[in-house]
Amino acid sequence: MPVSSAANSRTFKVTTPSDTDIVMTRVFDAPRHLVFEALTKPEHVRRWWGILDDKHSVPVCEIDLRVGGAWRFVGRGPDGDIPAFYGEYREITPPDRLVNTEFFEPFPDAGSLVTTVLTEEGGKTQLTVTASYPSKEVRDMVLQTGMEHGAAISYDRLEEVAAGLA
Amino acid sequence: MPSDPLSLTFAALADPTRRAILGRLIAGERSVTELAEPFEMSLPAVSKHLRVLERAGLIARGREAQWRPCRIEAAPLKEVAEWAERYRHIWETRFDRLDTYLQQMKTRSTKEKPHARQQRRK
Repeated sequence: MPVSSAANSRTFKVTTPSDTDIVMTRVFDAPRHLVFEALTKPEHVRRWWGILDDKHSVPVCEIDLRVGGAWRFVGRGPDGDIPAFYGEYREITPPDRLVNTEFFEPFPDAGSLVTTVLTEEGGKTQLTVTASYPSKEVRDMVLQTGMEHGAAISYDRLEEVAAGLA
Repeated sequence: MPSDPLSLTFAALADPTRRAILGRLIAGERSVTELAEPFEMSLPAVSKHLRVLERAGLIARGREAQWRPCRIEAAPLKEVAEWAERYRHIWETRFDRLDTYLQQMKTRSTKEKPHARQQRRK
């Protein structure tokens, strides 16, 4: 894991305010119109999304930024392509609100509705991403695959088992 | 549906009953009848779940004709755990990268803005 030089790393929080939602918040030291642009233009998304280190890239980054328009991102790591994330835009209100569906290729039945809200204060932007899943089972499955840092999990003994039996 | 081993494992784990079955197998080997006990489900239905788990390599079944105990297999779980460990950091890292990238965007936009204004004035 590369050591992060990002200034606001500690502002990253993940919460589960209801049975079907995952909410992530993060503060960025930039005005929200720039953050909005960074989230919605392929030439920018390619530079940060899925770029965990120099060995990662985003070979597919398609954004049709219209209501009903599709998006599709494929990350590539040292072991090859990571399954695609894709969806459709539902609401586009720059610079403060974006609503889209999101699916992850291995789980096509487990899509979420993602609402991104940007609020600006003193030149800093708070990003709030709410992912709503169709059921608690699906939401928990996503958490269990490691979306939340240090997630409390119900098939939690998975890693323990894997470690213990390895 | 992709049929690579990791996708098979995830597909198998996507079902709550199958995760519950695996959870019970952590304690040790169990027969199909024992595994079926806590579920309101017929034996054939449980067997069907077991076949999915077996195909994904998550469980192995004994050779004894009568009893055929099920036991948990570590290898695919280890693969999932390793994958999950990587995925856990994705959002955190992603936001850190975005943060760093935004600083570059900011620098560029302050450099470009006066220039853009001049362009418009012309």
